Amino acid sequence: MSILEGLKFYAGDTAIHKLDPRVKFLVSMLMLLMVVMYTEAWILVTLMVVQAAMAYAAKVVRRWLKTIKGSIPLAVLVFGLNAIFFITTGTHATLQEVLYHSATLAYRLVLFLSSFSIFFLTTTPEEIGLTLTSWRIPYPYTFAFISAIRFTPIIAQELRDIMDAQRSRGIELDKGGPLQRAKKLVPILVPLLANALRRAYELAEAMEVKCFGATKNRTSLRELKMRSRDYAALLVSLTLFSLAMYSRLFLL
Amino acid sequence: MEIVRVEGLTFTYSGSEVPAVKDINLTMKEGEFVLLLGPSGCGKSTLCRCLNGLIPHFYAGKMDGKVVVAGMDVTKTPTYVLSQHVGMVFQIPENQLFSLTVENDVAFALENLGIPRDEIKRRVDFALRAVGIEELRGRSPFELSGGQQQKVAIASILALMPKLMLFDEPTSSLDPVSAKSVVDIISSIRKEFGTSIIVAEHRVELLADKVDRVIVMQEGSIIKDGKPKEVFVSEEFTPYGVPVPKVVSMAKGVNRHLRVFNDMPLSPEEFEQGIRGFLYDKVR
Amino acid sequence: MIKFDSVTYVYPTGARALSDVSVEVGKGELVALMGENGAGKTTFIKHLNGLLKPTSGRVYVDGKDTRTLSVAQLSRIVGVVFQNAEDMFFLPTVEEEVAFSLRNLGFSEDVVQKRIDWALKFMELEVYKKRSPFLLSGGEKKRLALAIILAWNPQVIAMDEPTVGQDSMQKEKLKEMIKQLSLQGRTVIISTHDVEFVAELRPRVILMSRGKIVADGDADTILTDGELLRSCSILMPQVAATMSRLTDLGFNAKVISVEEAVRSIVKRLMEIEHTRRA
Repeated sequence: MSILEGLKFYAGDTAIHKLDPRVKFLVSMLMLLMVVMYTEAWILVTLMVVQAAMAYAAKVVRRWLKTIKGSIPLAVLVFGLNAIFFITTGTHATLQEVLYHSATLAYRLVLFLSSFSIFFLTTTPEEIGLTLTSWRIPYPYTFAFISAIRFTPIIAQELRDIMDAQRSRGIELDKGGPLQRAKKLVPILVPLLANALRRAYELAEAMEVKCFGATKNRTSLRELKMRSRDYAALLVSLTLFSLAMYSRLFLL
Repeated sequence: MEIVRVEGLTFTYSGSEVPAVKDINLTMKEGEFVLLLGPSGCGKSTLCRCLNGLIPHFYAGKMDGKVVVAGMDVTKTPTYVLSQHVGMVFQIPENQLFSLTVENDVAFALENLGIPRDEIKRRVDFALRAVGIEELRGRSPFELSGGQQQKVAIASILALMPKLMLFDEPTSSLDPVSAKSVVDIISSIRKEFGTSIIVAEHRVELLADKVDRVIVMQEGSIIKDGKPKEVFVSEEFTPYGVPVPKVVSMAKGVNRHLRVFNDMPLSPEEFEQGIRGFLYDKVR
Repeated sequence: MIKFDSVTYVYPTGARALSDVSVEVGKGELVALMGENGAGKTTFIKHLNGLLKPTSGRVYVDGKDTRTLSVAQLSRIVGVVFQNAEDMFFLPTVEEEVAFSLRNLGFSEDVVQKRIDWALKFMELEVYKKRSPFLLSGGEKKRLALAIILAWNPQVIAMDEPTVGQDSMQKEKLKEMIKQLSLQGRTVIISTHDVEFVAELRPRVILMSRGKIVADGDADTILTDGELLRSCSILMPQVAATMSRLTDLGFNAKVISVEEAVRSIVKRLMEIEHTRRA
């Protein structure tokens, strides 16, 4: 699951972490557009270099590399499928071309994932929530998003506890054929579900006493504010992107 | 001033045949500190839920009688209004915290009410300070211990500045040291802000000498209500599943042989005073 | 019966939960494993039936190295009951829950029936045979978890935090059951931070702090050592805390039971009075 590892936030204090999440999101989107627009190798390589520089500035290189490593199986799959597709449809004349184009597609997928990995690695879920709010997404959706992040590790721990409890009564989870193994999921899933239901009830009670949904005009302790450095970053990335657009449309 | 008035309250959860609380009559003065005792399933939680409007607004069932809290009839007042006057802290800390930082959790209820940002900031600062967890401000609830999480839960309710705070077994999932610090926070809230408090708890050792009044419930009814000394001394509670502080048992045991304690001790300090007083009187 | 030979356990995250723990628990002993949260109690318990295997060092159960046996095999000897009983329940009735484990461990059908009846009777749950485990009270759930484990008659019973969330009547019942299991000659190990419960049970106490064993002895000695307990963030039981305030008057501070405290207070008061008269 190393690909997910690359999407988990870790607290940091770098210039990249401090950027407004909306700017970071936009940068990721622009990168995505470039990846879609260009197939030229040198541009794609440049994009990777830019990303590497950003990862370095944010001190998340190792985790960023993990995402890339995690996305390799997926990239191999894309490569294989495309190669088969190109060969069977005869889109490209030579084998060399087939391989080149399949590789580019696979590589673009990696770029796509790694660009979002930088966003998620340097943006707190709380900031993502604030971003959603600033886009006027109704609060219940934002709340659902934040709760999902808040409770995932708790439920993962619960799952481990249940497995320990059931193994302690003689259930051998990793023995038997596929059918037997599927049957062994029941003693794990039923308690997990029962716990989840009870937890949901308790959460609902606590939400109730904390006035959830009392008013449509919900306020918020923190607010996203664009600062000069955010505008600067925005300007730089938009200029670079426009240059790229211009060259694509008129020069190439 | 009266903060709570309950008259002839009976409540049966829908789907159940036995009432969870029956014919409860209770008044509570403003600023009173009440310990609610009784075995699991005796109706303590149900009574608390009736006081903050979770019953009948959240839990369906058949309700008879009248419940007036801070001058409001709970059946006619929406929960979010009641919650600003009656705060409630639950048993499991992690299931009351929704955010990814402590300060956001403390602000949560205030945000829901649409209170202006400056006021939220002020109240968050106040609540964090009152509970003594300012340094946890930026942490994620997930990295905190159970005791710290429960303190965050308390701060998140305190930020609403309620007149009455209900605690439903706030320490039962905590280790003794955290339990003690949570109990200390509860009694300091009452001391500093004069908040009326009801705590449903099993740990009598920690609370006996701090509360003004002890109410004992059994099978949905109140069976005993009085000053802690009277209640703990009057009889052995063990058959009801209500514990007596060890110092009380010790003092009773000693008194069977020698008349040492005229006044029942509720803490090791009071026990010590009793013994020393006895010896001093003897000398005179 | 159980032997830890310089056991160190490091979680995959890098957290060191046990460091160089060596201890032996004999057959039929009653042991309370005490220590603050995160002291390593649960990790210790998980080594007893092989859920965790030592990173270095060895754990022997009934003379056998736990690395050579599966969790299922070890569980026949050491039954472990975890804190949250509900993590176990997934069948429609109490009876089926008990039967499930027995069948899993390969008992024949007539033995299964006998064992169900015996275990439920012992835990005072026979009237709930056909009830859903989810409808039991908190205390009953805990006893059902114990009945499930007890049914296959393990020589060692280990319980992780059995008193958490239990009211005093349920604790009383649990205490009686633990005493009985111990009287029957079983080895019983409980991990707990409930000092009052331990003070009433008076077992051998193994005190842990930060993955190490810091003290090992009888409850009366350890639970009256204020300094030691403070260093492990454990509160003194109320009886001992009370008595320790009166040491200057010659009161015995090494008491944790109410009865003994009363006896010693009365005796000392009489003595004081006697010397004064004389």
